[in-house]
Amino acid sequence: MNLKKLTGSREFLLFIIVIAMFAIVSVVNPVFFSFNAVTDMLKNNAVTLVMALGMLGVMLVGGIDISITSTLALSGMTIGMLLKYNHISSTLLAFVIAIAIGTACGALVGLLISRAGVPPIIASMGFMYIYRAMGYLISNGGEWASAAALGSFKNFGTDKLLGLSKVIWIIIVCYIVFFFVMKWTRIGRQVYAVGSNAEAAEVSGIKVKNIKLMVHTVMGFLAGLAGALQVAVYASAMPNMAQGGEMDVIAACVIGGVSMSGGRGSVIGALLGALIMAMIPKALPLLHIDALWQNMIKGVMILAVVVINVILQRIAQRNALARREM
Amino acid sequence: MAGKSGRSINNVPESPIKKLIFGWEGILILVFIGVNIFCKWFSEYYNMFNLLRQMPVYLAEVFLMLVMAFILVMGEIDISVGATVCLAATMACIASNAGIPFPLVILITLLVGTCCGLINAVILTNFSELPPMIVTLSTQIIFRGIAEIVLGSGGSISVANTAGFKAISRKIGSVPLILFLVIILAVFAAIVLGRSTFGRKVYAIGTNRLAARYSGVAVQKIRFIIYTLMGTAAGLCALFMVASSYGANTTTGTGFEMDAIAMAVFGGISSTGGKGNMIGGIISAFIIVCLRIGLGQRNVNGQVILLIIGVLLIAAVALPNILGSLKKAVKK
Amino acid sequence: MKKLLSVLLVTLLVAGLMTSALAGTADGKKIALVGKSAGNAFFEIAAASFKEAGEGEGATIDVVYPEAATADAQIKVLDNLISQQPDAICISANDFNALQAKLEEAMDAGIKVSSFDSAPNPASRQVFVNQAGTVAVGQALIDAVYDMAGGEGQWAILSATSQATNQNAWIDAMKKLAEDEKYAKLELVEVAYGDDEPQKSTDQTQALLDNYPDLKVICAPTTVGIMAAAKLVQDKPDCKVKITGLGLPSEMLEYTGADDAHSCPYFYLWDMQLLGKLSAYATIALINGDITGAEGESFTVEGLGEFSITAADDGGTEIVQGLPLQFNADNIEEMAKLY
Repeated sequence: MNLKKLTGSREFLLFIIVIAMFAIVSVVNPVFFSFNAVTDMLKNNAVTLVMALGMLGVMLVGGIDISITSTLALSGMTIGMLLKYNHISSTLLAFVIAIAIGTACGALVGLLISRAGVPPIIASMGFMYIYRAMGYLISNGGEWASAAALGSFKNFGTDKLLGLSKVIWIIIVCYIVFFFVMKWTRIGRQVYAVGSNAEAAEVSGIKVKNIKLMVHTVMGFLAGLAGALQVAVYASAMPNMAQGGEMDVIAACVIGGVSMSGGRGSVIGALLGALIMAMIPKALPLLHIDALWQNMIKGVMILAVVVINVILQRIAQRNALARREM
Repeated sequence: MAGKSGRSINNVPESPIKKLIFGWEGILILVFIGVNIFCKWFSEYYNMFNLLRQMPVYLAEVFLMLVMAFILVMGEIDISVGATVCLAATMACIASNAGIPFPLVILITLLVGTCCGLINAVILTNFSELPPMIVTLSTQIIFRGIAEIVLGSGGSISVANTAGFKAISRKIGSVPLILFLVIILAVFAAIVLGRSTFGRKVYAIGTNRLAARYSGVAVQKIRFIIYTLMGTAAGLCALFMVASSYGANTTTGTGFEMDAIAMAVFGGISSTGGKGNMIGGIISAFIIVCLRIGLGQRNVNGQVILLIIGVLLIAAVALPNILGSLKKAVKK
Repeated sequence: MKKLLSVLLVTLLVAGLMTSALAGTADGKKIALVGKSAGNAFFEIAAASFKEAGEGEGATIDVVYPEAATADAQIKVLDNLISQQPDAICISANDFNALQAKLEEAMDAGIKVSSFDSAPNPASRQVFVNQAGTVAVGQALIDAVYDMAGGEGQWAILSATSQATNQNAWIDAMKKLAEDEKYAKLELVEVAYGDDEPQKSTDQTQALLDNYPDLKVICAPTTVGIMAAAKLVQDKPDCKVKITGLGLPSEMLEYTGADDAHSCPYFYLWDMQLLGKLSAYATIALINGDITGAEGESFTVEGLGEFSITAADDGGTEIVQGLPLQFNADNIEEMAKLY
């Protein structure tokens, strides 16, 4: 019974897709099949992986946030400039500042959505412009903070703990915390409840507005964290960093089975979706795909994964119905 | 016809003229006048001549808004239009350089755009459980990807014979041709959305899709038509983009989808569906165009202009809501 | 009393006019400098010295950035500028072809059009200030590759986008030069594109390392690309691949050195400040009619010498600023302070 439940679930189908992709790429190019290749891939996609968790929360309540990479740039650029001009030097402090800025940005978006009734796409679109512009202004109109200017902060991107990059440890911790919260705590259940049926949730005593505010604040928290990670991993801060990356994050969630109308989706799904989004650009050059074709094929693959998932689900549903009729 | 009037601050009676004056559209007209006064004060170059000369590049995006409004009213979104513009513009240049007569070039460009729209339409109606955002995100990458492949290394093409494109960017008197075209199409789109059965069905889908289906609205057919037309509009936009640049490249049309959405939303069309009308969208399109030109003429930093538009966008949606709830609180 | 005051004022005014009239060759002229995008450290440096040189000659300089790094956005900027009727526009183009319509319109309106860093096509410009001859850059880069590879072996190119005009020109120049017998044992395995984005550049560099285990050198003629590649390789202690290309000294300080601990022995760029300065003087010479942009003309810049206008590879004309500068372990510390 449990096995049937497992094999029928969306996450399981995705898991199969991830394994299949991994296997195919590894067969064509064995380089991919190594511990280092995988950790490198995770590190290079730390930003997407971390923000996918926040987006999961936002999408579970039926929202969306396209301001996240602007938040990332604002928080990352701020600590970049602070480090460059020696206002701070502590890595921990830089992280705290980036996260604080991110959290404030997210809370502001959340306030507009939950209190002023602005549709999520509009609120976050407005802030996408606003935060990005603020990032530019903070960079004095276009300065970069480079490796040499970042001092010891950039070591965070290369340091290891127990044989694993610190960046990857952060990803792991985020996922464990989210998995726990979403599955076993009241707050997690409330998020699902709001997304499934906001009115019913309200009636049953859940403060829907507060939940919406909370998920956007958490999203901001993670976007700020991602800002610090981006600066650490690439040892540089630029005002236009990660522009357009929000779509990768949204795609990761949707591929992972998170419903855009809310209520459905899981941490494991978001993880698998983000892994697929990480694997596609990593795999295409390894498969010796011509440089000019890579973007097109990336698009086709995203579309294929979502469509296949829908078809598989339809089959699963039909089978379930047939079984019931018997 | 409740719920059709867009964001109105006070519950004014149904008379269309009163609605225009007291509703969101009335405020927009005031804002439009205000923006023009501001720009006149702010920029010494802000005059009718320069305005008409600078407008065409922005007007090309208004074509997108006209159909995007329908999609938003249905409560959906299409973010592939910028990439469609890119692909259609590329094909326009290739066709023109192949020596094809210009009227045929126009046809080919519109056709390429329509085909892109058709692809979205086919996928979205056959897999109606898929969110439009993710489908159009993938096709966005695909369409631009195809343009990248077609353009090859170099990523850019220029039109050898510019005569045809010069013809469509010419002026009648001092008014550019495209302005007439925008106005004609806008009136047409406004009538279709506001006064036709088709338009009412679109609102019905946006308000309650299930109810619309049960009351006999062919939801998928309407979605199919609108997404296909979105592609055609992108083709039209592409023609005028080529006319303003005599070329196309891999970044042509980047971000146009967001510009089109911003214009519509600022005009009172809700992205959650079922609300708003075309008149608001058109007025707001001109507000944004005038503001961008006015600020741009004084070389205001491009990022700051975007920041201002961001603030306006949020304010336009948040203020009526906040005022509305304040009013309620006062009444109590 | 009133009379005295007005006389005093008039005298002051005349004196003021006189001194400014003596100050420069471009008094009261308005020049607009159009960049590729805001937030480009590379451009900022040239823009600053352009401004300094132009203002030194009495001109007003407006530095304008498009809202995005696209030709569409630059078209809107050009429309704004044509309304303002400056005396000249100096532009670094985001696309080779797309600005033709607007730049022709500007020239028809009597605005002089010069360009620098990245040229629009010949029909849309009067003159192009080339930071370093295309062939000279290609030669410097291929020699660097030859040197770092020890004369033979595999090498790869990591570029920005397939659309980047100047990158494509350098790559083509390198490919052509590589046909020479001297470089016969060098094998160019791939041209990859990192879109000037750290994440994609990292993925692409990693793929180059994985796909070609015998790879010896990666040449990245783009600031973001060289940075990302140098960082990735330097973080792998056992990776022996060397990085070279075009980059900013301040961004590359961390990765440049002659020993194995640094991934980039040396790289190139040109004198960015000189580029800005020369562009300013070339633009002023255009305004004053000292040059028209035709081949064979020349003009003198005080302190810099004489520059002549030569035919460019694309069929237009250009002013070549000089040879690319090499940045290595010896001078990087010093240069990083400048830019």
